[in-house]
Amino acid sequence: MIHRGEDIIIRTISRMLIPFIQLYGLYVIMHGHYSPGGGFQGGVILGASLILLLITHGYHDARSRVPERVLTVFSGVGVFIYAGTGFLCLVLMGNFLDYAMLAKILHTDAAHARSLGILSVEIGVGMAVMAVMVSIFLDISTGGVLPGEEEEKQKTAEEA
Amino acid sequence: MQTFFLAVALGICFLVLLVLYRVVYGPGVFNRVAAISAVGTKTLIILLIVGFLYQRVDMFVDISIVYALLNFIGCVAVAKYLEMER
Repeated sequence: MIHRGEDIIIRTISRMLIPFIQLYGLYVIMHGHYSPGGGFQGGVILGASLILLLITHGYHDARSRVPERVLTVFSGVGVFIYAGTGFLCLVLMGNFLDYAMLAKILHTDAAHARSLGILSVEIGVGMAVMAVMVSIFLDISTGGVLPGEEEEKQKTAEEA
Repeated sequence: MQTFFLAVALGICFLVLLVLYRVVYGPGVFNRVAAISAVGTKTLIILLIVGFLYQRVDMFVDISIVYALLNFIGCVAVAKYLEMER
């Protein structure tokens, strides 16, 4: 599934479609508390756009757009934003994820602090879900060994 | 107007059953893929009609866009997989 695709129709359509999919994913994340959706759903849409890129363009062409190292960093940072918001509320003498306590450092009333706290948590969840989804897709479709890594391993084995 | 939309939704549900025959017994994989895609588009329309019935179209439009998107991506993924199998 990760091989290079030659179909020009699929490639062109997906290249035109992917920015709009990502914009829609960001909309779903930002409007999570007004409309259906939220962090997880928006992250799934963002991850689906990257998976579409990988399917249509192949891993070799899309490697620079979706590097494995950046995906790992994104999943870690997303979980850190989520847990950091929760522990920040804990530090400010509230319960875990008690957003109303954020009003002390944001200089707003409790309602605005709750809205901003939920937004930051959803951004973290979206980042983590996007990175982990694409990472799982890469692992399943390549059997755990990425094409570039395989060549490097063979080279090092030959040298040794 | 509500009964009209309800009747249309039920009619499309019946059509989904007809297409489902092609999904289950259809000769070959390509018939099944095309039929699954058709079921997806019909589901999208049913979602929008349900939104009309509940007077919340603005919410259901979001869901149906996501459904169309994932339907397209799934179709491309299955096509790519079949190409690889060949």
